[in-house]
Amino acid sequence: MSFAVEVNHLKKSFGDFQAVQDANFFAASGEVLSLLGPNGAGKSTTISMLSGLLAPTSGDACIMGHSIIKEPEHAKASLGVVPQDIALYPDLSARENLVFWGKMYGLRGTVLKSRVDEVLEVIGLSDRQKDHVGKFSGGMKRRVNIGAALLHKPDVVIMDEPTVGIDPQSRRHILNNVKELNQLGMTVLYTTHYMEEAAELSHHIAIMDKGRIIAYGTHDELIKMVGEQTRIDLTLNTEAEKILSAWQKTEGVSKIDSADGKITALVDDSNRVLPRLFDAASKANVRITSVDIQEPNLETVFLHLTGRALRD
Amino acid sequence: MRIFDLALKDLSQMFRDKRSLLFLVVMPIVFTFFMGFAYKNVGGDPNVDNRLPLAVINPEPDAVLNKALVTRLESSDSIRIESMNEMDAMDTFHKGGVAGVLIIPSGFSDQVSAGNEAQLTLIADPTSASGQSLYQLLRVPISQLMSAVEISRETTDILGKADSSAEQSAAFDLAWDKWTQASKISLVKMEQAVAEESSDWTGGNPYNQSSPGILVQFAIFGLVTSAQILVQEKKTRTLQRLITTAMKPWEIVAGHMLAMFTVTFLQTAMLVVFGQWVLSVDYLREPIGVLLVAVTLGLWVSSMGLLIGVIAMDEQQVILYSMIAMFLFSAMGGTWFPLETTGGAFAAIGKVMPSTWAMTGLQNILIRGLGIESVWMAVGLLAAYALFFFVLAVWRFKKIEV
Ligand SMILES: Nc1ncnc2c1ncn2[C@@H]1O[C@H](COP(=O)(O)OP(=O)(O)O)[C@@H](O)[C@H]1O
Ligand SMILES: [Mg+2]
Repeated sequence: MSFAVEVNHLKKSFGDFQAVQDANFFAASGEVLSLLGPNGAGKSTTISMLSGLLAPTSGDACIMGHSIIKEPEHAKASLGVVPQDIALYPDLSARENLVFWGKMYGLRGTVLKSRVDEVLEVIGLSDRQKDHVGKFSGGMKRRVNIGAALLHKPDVVIMDEPTVGIDPQSRRHILNNVKELNQLGMTVLYTTHYMEEAAELSHHIAIMDKGRIIAYGTHDELIKMVGEQTRIDLTLNTEAEKILSAWQKTEGVSKIDSADGKITALVDDSNRVLPRLFDAASKANVRITSVDIQEPNLETVFLHLTGRALRD
Repeated sequence: MRIFDLALKDLSQMFRDKRSLLFLVVMPIVFTFFMGFAYKNVGGDPNVDNRLPLAVINPEPDAVLNKALVTRLESSDSIRIESMNEMDAMDTFHKGGVAGVLIIPSGFSDQVSAGNEAQLTLIADPTSASGQSLYQLLRVPISQLMSAVEISRETTDILGKADSSAEQSAAFDLAWDKWTQASKISLVKMEQAVAEESSDWTGGNPYNQSSPGILVQFAIFGLVTSAQILVQEKKTRTLQRLITTAMKPWEIVAGHMLAMFTVTFLQTAMLVVFGQWVLSVDYLREPIGVLLVAVTLGLWVSSMGLLIGVIAMDEQQVILYSMIAMFLFSAMGGTWFPLETTGGAFAAIGKVMPSTWAMTGLQNILIRGLGIESVWMAVGLLAAYALFFFVLAVWRFKKIEV
């Protein structure tokens, strides 16, 4: 198997702080690889090194066999980067933006024109191509932001959290775009902190936390790591802090954490553990307002690995 | 090719903003007029003696040639002779009381008449307008004096007269008279022109000071607009995206600099055209010289714009840095007022400023009436400054992270 993206012992420090510590992962040609991790995990820092924006402190990576350190121009030529922040000229129209970026990727003349038309079609903005990007909604900007990285038909597309803060409709459009691009043969490196996106899109998933890749595998392989444990989501009529430490000590609870008003617990056997949780709650004078027993998912995996919930 | 595409994009963004037209076109023209009027009123008082003061050290005032030369100089419209001894003369010169000191050595008249070498010495600042003018003003009468002596000696030699000194003196008088008359008739025009130009700092046309001054100053002021593009590029994160394309860092830097250079150069060209045809400032007297100064000025200013764009974090900082550059280089560079009038530390600092050299280059052509060779120094220095700022900007650019 040939690798489109190879990351070898990549490290990045900002002063004493190690934002990326010894990252190793691979993306096979033609697959979607997701980098899943909470905010601050080091996803963007990794992406920035791969796309030539940051010099690695040590380690190396190859894009289509070209080292980002030894042959950055070749590596960049096979790469389309969709940055986390919108990187477009707001005072130019969607079409002008795409034409400009096409030129920067070395396209000219009729090839450029037809590629811009195709990309406008793909991102679904042909009818708004003459409008200034500055006037677009967040979702539309995100779509142009993606389009600008596709003009030169790169072998590898890197997308850094392309669905953050947009309406569900645009989000759906973008997720479908990723699948389409992948079907056309592009390798996609996709970073996200939404586990559903990673689950839906990826062939392989690398879970990242605190600068480290803590797990790698297919969705099913990762789920198996949790074993026979069950995940329970609970909500309370009060703050989670009142009961969290008591529940932590409850027999049968292996991991428990709260995020955004929701408590997620990993337990050995829900039938036996749940009554104990209710018991402890009444003693602490806390009322449980909802209980949800879940099939294990990537969130469960993250909780299992780190003891923390994957926050939104 | 991508460099040009990037520059074109920058230019279209700059000109899309109508405010840049105000900065780049309207304001410099208005200011040229305004400053021109200001100089007109300052320089126009007929009662002021505008002649260049020249100290003459003349140990033998009664010697024939000494007398002839001094009389001739005294009759000039452009030089005011002040006879003094050597110590006073140097002292007055250093205090700025005279524009130069002319030393006539002892025995000058006899030595020259006898056909021996004897040199007159002019002490003046060759980099100042007044020093340049003095040199020009003295060259003609002195070379005429020397050739009159030469003619008289040759004549008496040929005639082989025994009493040669009386004959020689008569022949000299004749030749000198001819020169004096000739300079009144055919040379008078040239001397008038030179005299007028050197009589005040503006060379007769007040726009000779204001037009190049505004030209240099607004070239620097244009930084506010052109450096802004790079900061916007950072703010919209498009600079980061540019780095992720296959464009090499130097291509990105060169593309932006090309846009800044084009803006500066077009503005300069516009002000030259405006000065030439509307204000009768004779830039085209030495078109290649003016072009060279304009190009190197553009290179220097755009390299500085690049540096400002690379270090500034936001629009406010661009304005701040551009203002600092403008005050530093405009005020110190003699674009607001001639440096000759300030003296002291200001004049000294001013001498190393690239803006000073841009002004000097243009004024050598406009006010001092010199040829293309007079701009080489300015062109070389501006190019050196451009290279310095460019290297600094590229170095800082490579350090930009995310
Ligand atoms: N330029 C920088 N200087 C210092 N710290 C940084 C810099 N960029 C990122 N970090 C830190 O590195 C960590 C990883 O950040 P980032 O890669 O943006 O995470 P993610 O994209 O996964 O949310 C964070 O703690 C962040 O604060
Ligand atoms: Mg990020």
